[in-house]
Amino acid sequence: MLSKILKWINERWPLTTVIRWSLEEEMPGGTSYAYIFGSCVLIVFLFQVITGVWQLLYFVPTTDRGYESLNYLRTEIPFGWLIHGLHYWGASAMIILVGLHLSQVYIWGAYKNPRQLTWLIGVGNLLLTLALGFTGPILPWDERGYWEAEVAVSSAGTAPFLGTVARNLLAGGTALGQMTVSRFFFLHVAILPGILMAFVILHLVAFRKFGISGPWDEAKRKLTGLFWPDQVFKDGVAVTLIFMALIGLSAYRPPLYSGPLDVLETFYVPKPEWYFLFFYQTLKAFHGVFEPIGTIGIPLLITLLLIFLPFYDRSPERNPGRRVTAMVCYAIFVTWVITMAILGYYSKPEASTSGAPVATEATQAVSSSAGDPTLQNLEGAKRGGQLVASLGCTACHRVNGQGGVIGPEFTSALLKGKSRQWLITQIRNPKAHFPNSIMPAFISATDQQVNDIVDFLLATAQGKSVAAGRLAKGPSAPPVPAGLPQKTTPTPSVAPGPHGPPQEASFAIGNVELGATIFHQSCESCHGAQGKGKVPNPGSADGTVPPLNPIDPTLFNKNAQTFVNDIDPYIQHGSIPEGPNPVLHMLSFGDSESLTQQMIANVEAYVLHLNGVNRAQITRPGLEPRTFFWLVVVVFGFVLGGFWVWKGRRREKINR
Amino acid sequence: MADNLFFVEPTTSRRGFLKLITNLMIGLVAAVLTVPLVGGLIGSSFRLKKSRWADVGNISSLPLGQPTSMKFPYKTEDAYVRETVTHDVWVIKHSSSELTVFSPICPHLGCHYNWHPDENEFICPCHGSVYALTGKVLGGPAPRALDTLPWKLEKDRLFVEWETFRVGIPQKIRT
Ligand code: FES
Repeated sequence: MLSKILKWINERWPLTTVIRWSLEEEMPGGTSYAYIFGSCVLIVFLFQVITGVWQLLYFVPTTDRGYESLNYLRTEIPFGWLIHGLHYWGASAMIILVGLHLSQVYIWGAYKNPRQLTWLIGVGNLLLTLALGFTGPILPWDERGYWEAEVAVSSAGTAPFLGTVARNLLAGGTALGQMTVSRFFFLHVAILPGILMAFVILHLVAFRKFGISGPWDEAKRKLTGLFWPDQVFKDGVAVTLIFMALIGLSAYRPPLYSGPLDVLETFYVPKPEWYFLFFYQTLKAFHGVFEPIGTIGIPLLITLLLIFLPFYDRSPERNPGRRVTAMVCYAIFVTWVITMAILGYYSKPEASTSGAPVATEATQAVSSSAGDPTLQNLEGAKRGGQLVASLGCTACHRVNGQGGVIGPEFTSALLKGKSRQWLITQIRNPKAHFPNSIMPAFISATDQQVNDIVDFLLATAQGKSVAAGRLAKGPSAPPVPAGLPQKTTPTPSVAPGPHGPPQEASFAIGNVELGATIFHQSCESCHGAQGKGKVPNPGSADGTVPPLNPIDPTLFNKNAQTFVNDIDPYIQHGSIPEGPNPVLHMLSFGDSESLTQQMIANVEAYVLHLNGVNRAQITRPGLEPRTFFWLVVVVFGFVLGGFWVWKGRRREKINR
Repeated sequence: MADNLFFVEPTTSRRGFLKLITNLMIGLVAAVLTVPLVGGLIGSSFRLKKSRWADVGNISSLPLGQPTSMKFPYKTEDAYVRETVTHDVWVIKHSSSELTVFSPICPHLGCHYNWHPDENEFICPCHGSVYALTGKVLGGPAPRALDTLPWKLEKDRLFVEWETFRVGIPQKIRT
């Protein structure tokens, strides 16, 4: 039956011929594990295509939903964690394997006549693979994706003459945005894989035409092996191991949740994927006018060196022992890549993470009125007076007889002689002046807001009375900085108890590390380091600020989403603790926009983490990742091991 | 023949063994890879949407015994898309504490039906199903009575649990 169908097909399409062509090959010098890399790259590329296409069932390439849709796949779709994990780690595997394949070809001298064209196509495949590895992580448009896009687009912008054109074409506009995501998506899922697929076929055809180059030693070439099944068996072993490793990595090292994009975020240190770290580190050496040498010159030079390799290295000698220059070059290149990658991995960002973004606008505003404290902007001072209440300053500082007593009262005595710049720094980064200050840094207040508050403080310093906003009645929400999601319900900054539903922060999976940094800046002064502290709160029923680690059991929940929904209203809307006259109360970080929704999402991920709950909890895993991994290991071991034993017995029987 | 290439030759040769075990390995990898692919295809296709209580509005001024269409904002959660949409329900007030709440979706094929006060009937414009004030089918192709929705009153505010049901069948099954 099968042979009949086969015959029917063969009369119309040369199936058997194609299969024979792809499998039947004599291998001079026999099979080797050194030859597995090409096949492995091919198979991993197939994995990438399949898992990539599958992600399209869920992922949407938009600036507002990209990250969420990916996280939906990862946490709420059975085995979604595995689809994404395989794709993510598959990319790394593919780049490693391409590197090894290239190294093997280089060391064996297999690029030499007559295989120059095979080599050229191979270089094309390398570039396409790197381009895919670069465009992929951009797509979710999260913290990481955005900054990678920024780097890509800015690098293109450094090109001489055509910089702006290249930059705008790549970004799809004059600034990053939806069109940028669409463009990278278009490249990553259609153009690049399409070309790569065609190139892979060309590469295979060229490879089949001349076969493997085999050992350089003539004597060793006598022995021959067969591609199928001898070499394919070795390839199969490697592919099986790689596949299991990818599942293991997906289970034990899931890709990072870098947090929702927040362009106001100043703590995030954009670093590329590991495979571009060497380049990232190298770029640091090029500043100013030399920058294009790094961004454009070096990649171009390496590419040209690779492309023309078979043309400038024409000697037919393949034995690496007699190609000293080639091997030294190789060693230097590999050492450079590895050293730079390690340096890049451990490098600290140049700017400090003290959370004191330079208040550019505010600083500029100063220069016009600098040194002349009489030139006060009364309008600004009035707005500042409102902000002092709505941003929560009066929770700690007394102003005109009302407010908390944790911080010093805003009196003219206190503020006399303080410069505008000093006050700006004090608001943005209190620890700069007082290392032990418990005052939260107001990192996300706009420059305009800070300016207004400083106007207010300077006016107070001169004894001018500008009415501060009333405690429980904040003004309507301050202007929303461009690019931030619009808040729907501006509520008073401080209200008795949390109220209102969880806000958008509660739906985004934040990044724990960023959350820890923000917590350190804004929450630690009251809740203690790692949320453990018992900071006194006189006048409250508890006497201390409630610790967050462990958190009040009525707020705790094993389900991450429920847990977040429980704590979100407190962070958004603030609350006043029970008790006769509590000195400290929870600030309304969301309503007052002292923290952006994205920052709050990160803080929430951190608070959950402190309480042993993973914000990125997989609610519908299909099978628990680790269980699944070990199940696969057992099944593979059992089936293949069992087969081995059975085969051995059978052979014994026949021999007898 | 090609099938000979793939399957073991009827020998116990080393190559026969290699072919078999290679096929086995490739088969296993493919089989394991199928698991997430099937999981991804199924996804949430069979998951009931969570229904939620929605504040429909104040009913103190509603006329007695007369169906009124009440519109209300409803926060939907559809996979990763969260947005507020407008839904409506038909509310019939029998007394200050007794109500009937009908889903506005025609159980025939899902059109929006309307109340015709002159006929004292609900009539669906799509295929002409006619329902009494009680929801009973009076005519047309409708397979079942109008779908009632769970409700509760908090003082004068009506809260309704927004649910949808499969259309075109005699049973009232949630979707
Ligand atoms: S949909 Fe209402 S009668 Fe058919």
